[in-house]
Amino acid sequence: MEKQTGIEKFHCGRLTPLMNELALQSQLNRVADWEIGTRGLPSEDREAQLFWRLRYQITRTQLRQLLTTSRLRTFLVVGLSLFFWAGLFLLFYEGFKFIVDNIAPAGAPYHAQTVQFVFHLFFASLNVMLVLSSGIILYTGLYKSPETVRLLTLPTRPERIVLYKFQEAVFYSSWGFFLLASPLMIAYGIVAGAPAIYYFLLPPLIISFVYVPSGVGAICCMLVIHKLPKLRRIIVAGIALAVIAFVAPLIWQTINSPQSKLFGAEWFHETLHRFRFTEEEWLPSTWLTNGLLEAARPAAAVGTSMVADLPLVQSLLYLALLVSNALFLHVLTVWAAKRWFRQSYANLAARHIRRRQVRQALADRVFSLLLSPFPPPLRLLLIKDWRLLRRDPVQWSQFLIFFGLLGLYFLNVDRFNNPHSDINYVTWINMVSFLNLAVVGLILSTFTTRFIYPMISLEGHCFWIIGLLPIERDTILWSKFWFASLGSWVPCSLLVLLSDVMLQVPMLVIGVHQLTCVLLCLGLASIAVGFGAMMPNFRETSPSKIAAGFGGTLNLVLSALYIMVVVVLTALPCHFYLLADNGPFGTSFVNPQYLKVWLVVGTGAAVVVGASATIFPLRRGLRAFRQLEFI
Amino acid sequence: MIEFQQVCRSYGDKVAVENLNLRVGGGELYALLGHNGAGKTTAIKVLVGLIRPGSGTVSVGGYDLVTQTREATALIGYVPDQPFLYDKLSGREFLQFIGRMYGMDAGQVGRAIDREIRRFELFDFVDELTETYSHGMKQRMVFASALLHSPRVLVVDEPMLGLDPHSIRLVKDLLRSEVAHGLCVFMSTHTLAAAEEIANRVGIMGHGRLLFDGSLDELRERFPIEKKSLEAMYLALTERDGEADRH
Repeated sequence: MEKQTGIEKFHCGRLTPLMNELALQSQLNRVADWEIGTRGLPSEDREAQLFWRLRYQITRTQLRQLLTTSRLRTFLVVGLSLFFWAGLFLLFYEGFKFIVDNIAPAGAPYHAQTVQFVFHLFFASLNVMLVLSSGIILYTGLYKSPETVRLLTLPTRPERIVLYKFQEAVFYSSWGFFLLASPLMIAYGIVAGAPAIYYFLLPPLIISFVYVPSGVGAICCMLVIHKLPKLRRIIVAGIALAVIAFVAPLIWQTINSPQSKLFGAEWFHETLHRFRFTEEEWLPSTWLTNGLLEAARPAAAVGTSMVADLPLVQSLLYLALLVSNALFLHVLTVWAAKRWFRQSYANLAARHIRRRQVRQALADRVFSLLLSPFPPPLRLLLIKDWRLLRRDPVQWSQFLIFFGLLGLYFLNVDRFNNPHSDINYVTWINMVSFLNLAVVGLILSTFTTRFIYPMISLEGHCFWIIGLLPIERDTILWSKFWFASLGSWVPCSLLVLLSDVMLQVPMLVIGVHQLTCVLLCLGLASIAVGFGAMMPNFRETSPSKIAAGFGGTLNLVLSALYIMVVVVLTALPCHFYLLADNGPFGTSFVNPQYLKVWLVVGTGAAVVVGASATIFPLRRGLRAFRQLEFI
Repeated sequence: MIEFQQVCRSYGDKVAVENLNLRVGGGELYALLGHNGAGKTTAIKVLVGLIRPGSGTVSVGGYDLVTQTREATALIGYVPDQPFLYDKLSGREFLQFIGRMYGMDAGQVGRAIDREIRRFELFDFVDELTETYSHGMKQRMVFASALLHSPRVLVVDEPMLGLDPHSIRLVKDLLRSEVAHGLCVFMSTHTLAAAEEIANRVGIMGHGRLLFDGSLDELRERFPIEKKSLEAMYLALTERDGEADRH
């Protein structure tokens, strides 16, 4: 007998009456709503309302969860942000007071020039940052998110999807801007004795400014993806040329500029000249700077009866300039979204992904050779992690960018040819050398939090592979620890050495710095691996989300504290030791008998703290990892 | 209801779909079969508007997917192989959003949600956040969202993936009952037994081409010595295509 098809079976009455009844209801709806597809779809306003409602519901749930289930994490993050904000505010406040006390009072031409320079430089840098970050965030949100796939299969207007994701991109790319810019602006307002209107104008000025570079970033993002298949080589070559054209002169200037006395008139003019490009009139950062400075200027200080020359009016004109440009970019974004988004999404989804044939690279062989002292299972795990790192440009490119920038900065720190007998200069050099060490440590801590801490959580997804291997569980954790420590020690020690050589610090300080570097790398690796094993998150697949969780935040905070303690313990005795050797007050300030003792005690204490930070988290992590159940 | 006309789509040099001509009407359940990389998913992505055809046209209910995307997608309900739900919404909130996006008013959405809750047995978890759902619960919720606006075409990519036997039965019964009441279902699957049980027309793809398009009976007539199971006929057809391609 021939088999029956599904429909025949259906007619034989095998389906439940409920299914029948519901299918009949659907059929009746289909007939009744025959024309919904063309006439009943939501209007543009209605669609916007629906998306706002969606965002409201999601945000409400997230806030509720933050306040009920992750209270400690929330308070920690908010508290740290407030602490950071207050620290920045104090820094900016003291900075502006320094200008008032040492350069010129508010209203004087020198004061205005100096503050203008600071504002131009600050906002121009953030301008570039906002273009890049909003473009990258929008790319991830629009072209890489499963949500977009869902939304594109609904009868949603493409411009609505783009605007919905653009709002997210503006928010995520600008919160850092708010955190940095608001203490600067408020501090300046207080020091300059700005009128109340200055504070009222801050929010509209900031918001309209943020929208401009974000809009540029969004349009560039869609344009690049839209044109990528046809113009891939031209776009890549264009970007490479632009980067070279911009970066090469900067590096050349940095390395070859004549050495002038630190904080001298020549140095000051040179610095002003170097950053003159940030004052270009067409830059939105210039409009924001001018708008802020005008708003802060008291009306009484202006000896004019012309309304257009009043500071408030001038400030409002700059605000109008920012708002009109922001609105224009909004319209342009909507236009670009209508024209390009669906097509560009389809182009990207249908791009050809080349299959990569990978062989054992020379780098792998060298790495394997360097690891030969380690036992074979540990070596194999280390080589596996090395290959994952090497083949993931997202990871190593960030290392390269940050450490490259630090290297550039370190190359620049010898620009001062002050006499070495100058106590201020010696103090400055020693302080800068230790600050450099701390900066290397802090950047390293962000990397260990972002890349090392999530490693165990990510391993959970394929634990069926390494979990079933005939190796001890401890070996897996040890491999992560050695990978993180060795991987971070090489670039960090080289960078710190470069800084020391450029600053021409004494051999003693170089030795102390190298020892501190080892302590930092071991301690930070242990904290990240240990906490990663103690607080794994096997539900999350994104390393950045794992790092942003409570464990990641705690890891970052503890790492920062650890760096500060170790650097202070090694830096202070060194500092006094050098001051006593070079200062005009010589040994009258500190007893020379005890200087070496201080040095030994300080370094010894740092070693003890380093050993504790290495041993305890790792031990706890090993214990937790042995008992871990991968479900 | 669905019409592919000479559709071609390539990924660089690789041809994913080649000259696809296909019409599927209301009240039909069309199962698209094929090996991995045969072009099924590309065909589905073109059908729901995620990818545009390199050449040729695809239309749904007479609306072209490229030039009249909104009108065409309004007629489609789509169930992807990887269900997407908003983690921070409850199932009901998610369904309300979807219903409103299709232009339904509050009353219509409410009634439709009640209908889908009964159909997919969502009572126990519809008001919980979707981040707490299992894969099966998510898949049922996605099915409910795809059928909420009573679409004229249901596009389903691997509907049985990760479902328990009870849910598989539920989905099969649902598809059969809806098709009997006029819905057009376009389904891509590797589960040959399910296709054999519920489909009234099958398409077999290989290397981007539609190797066979017709009913199971027509397939059996073409392969009289293959013991008449869909699996045997499918393997015979795709192996032949593989050999022809190698030559």
